[in-house]
Amino acid sequence: MARLDINSVSKAFGAARPADGLSLAVEPGEIVAVFGPSGSGKTVLLRMIAGMFEPDDGDILIGGRSVVGAPPERRGIGMAFQNFALFPHMTARDNIASGLRASGNEVASRVAAISKLLKIEHVLSHAPRELSNGQKQRTALARALIGNPDVLLLDDPLRNVDAKLRYEMRLELPNLLRRGTAAVLYVTQDYREAMAIADRIAVLIDGRLAQVATPADIYAQPASVAIARLFGDPTINLAEVSPVAEHGVLSATVAGARMRLGAADGAAPAGACWLGVRPEDIAVSSASTDDAIPARILAITPMHEKAVLLLRLADGTEWLAALPPDVPHSAADDNVFVRFASDAAMLFDRATGLRIGPTHRLKAA
Amino acid sequence: MEHSSPAGRVFRGVALTLILIFFMFPIVWIFLMSFQTNEQILRIPPRVLFEPTLANYEALISGQLRTAAGNLQISFMRNLFNSVVLSSAAVLLALLLGVPAAYAFARFKFRLGESIAFTLLSFRFAPPLLVLLPLSLYYQELGLNDTYFGIVWVYQLIALPLILWIVRGYFEDISPDIEHAYRLAGHSWREAFTRIAVPLAGPGIAAAGLLSFIFCWNNFVFALILASADKQPVTVGALAFVTASGIQYGQIAAAIVLSVTPTLLLALYAQRYLVEGLSLGAVKG
Amino acid sequence: MSMVQLLQTNAQAAPAKPRPRVRLLPYLLSLPALLVCVAILVPFVTAAVYSLQRYRLNLPYLRGFIGAGNYIDFLSDPAFWNTFRISITYTAVTVVFELLLGLGIALLLRRPTRFHNAVSIMLLLPLMTAPAIAALMWKLMTNPSFGILSYLVGLFGVTDFKWASDPSSALFTVVLVDVWVYTPFIMILLLAGLRSLPRQPFEAAALDGVPANFVFFRITLPMLAPYIITASLFRLLDSIQQFDIIYAMTQGGPGDRLMVFQVQAYLEFFQYTNVGRSAALLMILWLITNILSNIFIKNWLRLRARAHGHA
Repeated sequence: MARLDINSVSKAFGAARPADGLSLAVEPGEIVAVFGPSGSGKTVLLRMIAGMFEPDDGDILIGGRSVVGAPPERRGIGMAFQNFALFPHMTARDNIASGLRASGNEVASRVAAISKLLKIEHVLSHAPRELSNGQKQRTALARALIGNPDVLLLDDPLRNVDAKLRYEMRLELPNLLRRGTAAVLYVTQDYREAMAIADRIAVLIDGRLAQVATPADIYAQPASVAIARLFGDPTINLAEVSPVAEHGVLSATVAGARMRLGAADGAAPAGACWLGVRPEDIAVSSASTDDAIPARILAITPMHEKAVLLLRLADGTEWLAALPPDVPHSAADDNVFVRFASDAAMLFDRATGLRIGPTHRLKAA
Repeated sequence: MEHSSPAGRVFRGVALTLILIFFMFPIVWIFLMSFQTNEQILRIPPRVLFEPTLANYEALISGQLRTAAGNLQISFMRNLFNSVVLSSAAVLLALLLGVPAAYAFARFKFRLGESIAFTLLSFRFAPPLLVLLPLSLYYQELGLNDTYFGIVWVYQLIALPLILWIVRGYFEDISPDIEHAYRLAGHSWREAFTRIAVPLAGPGIAAAGLLSFIFCWNNFVFALILASADKQPVTVGALAFVTASGIQYGQIAAAIVLSVTPTLLLALYAQRYLVEGLSLGAVKG
Repeated sequence: MSMVQLLQTNAQAAPAKPRPRVRLLPYLLSLPALLVCVAILVPFVTAAVYSLQRYRLNLPYLRGFIGAGNYIDFLSDPAFWNTFRISITYTAVTVVFELLLGLGIALLLRRPTRFHNAVSIMLLLPLMTAPAIAALMWKLMTNPSFGILSYLVGLFGVTDFKWASDPSSALFTVVLVDVWVYTPFIMILLLAGLRSLPRQPFEAAALDGVPANFVFFRITLPMLAPYIITASLFRLLDSIQQFDIIYAMTQGGPGDRLMVFQVQAYLEFFQYTNVGRSAALLMILWLITNILSNIFIKNWLRLRARAHGHA
């Protein structure tokens, strides 16, 4: 078993710095999703690990040994590419077997085993152009998995497959990937995919790791407003506030209403903050209380498992609320009152965007 | 957008007929001439219907020309053989030199590579005599004058830019990830090159090879300057043949037919790639 | 794979080389091509040096550096100016004719029907004929005693037309051969260009009832311009260096009627053994082609990027 260590790796292409002092460790058998907006350096990181180019600075270790400078074929890495990168002039079988150096019998039995696992036994004799995108993806995965690599790199493997297949694979992949003891690095642009598949998520923004934590922690305790905005659909509601601490309670005025933000243990945050409230933590009612924000419903979008309300708060800010569809609620143009529990409020520093304690939100997402 | 008025259609039909006559007639006429005796050729008015003879071809193949002045030895078959040897060797050498270089230029962006690629390209358009005349003096000193190798070497001037730029385009069209995937599967770059890149660029390599063969075969000036009689290809040989005295016209026509047949057949075979080859890879057909 | 094996693979993976790794591979791969490059550049530089020398093969003891002497001599040499004039005329006439004819044929064959494709393939045959051999073919056809073309013009009452052997018709004759060989080159490039044009502008124009000549001059021609420019420059570059057809037809004659750059340079070298003068003549031709080829390569690269962008 071998763990993957990335130690303050940096890489620059001209003025762009897709990797800027990255450090990350992946244990054997662990799946770490590298998640971030496009252009944040996810693919560059994978390609440095795979040896397609070398870091300018820092070290990459597999099983405690540096692989920097070693040719790709000697790193013990399996990789699945976003564009599949199947060998067009070989059958699916030959594609899968391309990495095996073993006797004919052993190759045949291992290809049979992996293709059964991935349900592609019936297309093994087909050329890649005869495969559907889903079959191509499974072939590419089989090719990456068959050699039992120490490190498995998956570069957004579900990007080019249709929605149904992506959903199925999200359920199937974690089991598949955990069968071996590979340290898995899984690149994705879809936060749901990252949350469904990974043990931990490494959030990459502008070549730096903004947060590395379990999916639940990242959702509940995003390190910054930028991360909070990347996770969640609809995205988190924000309002600019200046919290004050009174009698051990932290509160702030939002659109004219005084909202409790939890206990003010320790120093209250000074100055302007972003208040963040997830749409599913918002309650809407027609009854007015003094801890409710007056608002007007602009539109209601039923989305099967939930209904999304577009609200305009009294000060003009637009917020979203995600409510269970069976809860009776008002119609568009109704005037309503918006509440949220104090432990649902997140505060971020206005200037740095970093989250401010002590408002911990421990409720699991 | 197409005008199909009767007048327009008549105009198009007439125009296409005239064009076909202008471009096809010389080939057809020389072909017919090659099966005629001197008497038939000299007949006025010329006839399209005649009794064909293979005598011209027989004379060329046997190398014995019977003329008014007596028997004349000719080495046209030797010229034909030289054309085959020179063109094939030149293409093989160009593929050997050009394909790895084209791969390097496509996969690694490096300044030396661009310099080589563009130098060769710009020399494709420089006057060939500019290089050939000094080279003929060098060749005399080096003993390369009138050797197959010497001629094959300068043919690189024709074949190499073509192969380099066409094959480079084909390599550029292959996703580098396919080769990365093969290397991660445990293969060296050499294996990735020979088992992935070269097979995938195969059609381009074959087309570039065929086209270079045609262009080498059709070349005239290089061999005119660097080769003497026993190394001359058909282009130079046929010309010398005409100036020899007492030659029969039907035999010249037969020599022309034999000289152009290989390239015309190859061109028909590779016609799908001709546009790409003629534009050095800039226009795809 | 067992644990021990895994560890062994890892042991192999340990790098011995220090960073940064120098990538030798591309240089190794292009070494042979570099060699060819050098092998071309050496004679090229030699030619440049010769052009600055008094250098006659038959008078080796007179050899010496004379600076721009050879070039200055050209200025007052009517033979040079004749060559210059003939080369430019030949180039201009052939390229204009071939461009107009090639564009016309391409437009006629534009719709990709089976018949049109067959015609376009047949028209490629002259282009695939060696130009020197093509000249021979036309020589046979214009022979005064039995040439079919001499016979045909005779039918129209022109009995004394001497084609390439008469100074007044020599240029016409070689231009005819050049047009025969190279028009298909322009045609095939423009045809590929025409067929690669997007269809929407033409469909929109047809829907709006835009007149045909407006469509041609305002839509077709501008969109085809990159192909026309590349094909014409290609032909300009080849035409100004024409050697094969003229040499095979008349060796520059009759007299000096068809004395173009490369034919004169050839004769200076082999007939008059004046290496210096020959080299200077070729350097002037190179200067012209170099300017043209720089413009050409710029356009060619743009077309090439377009072809690969679509791929």
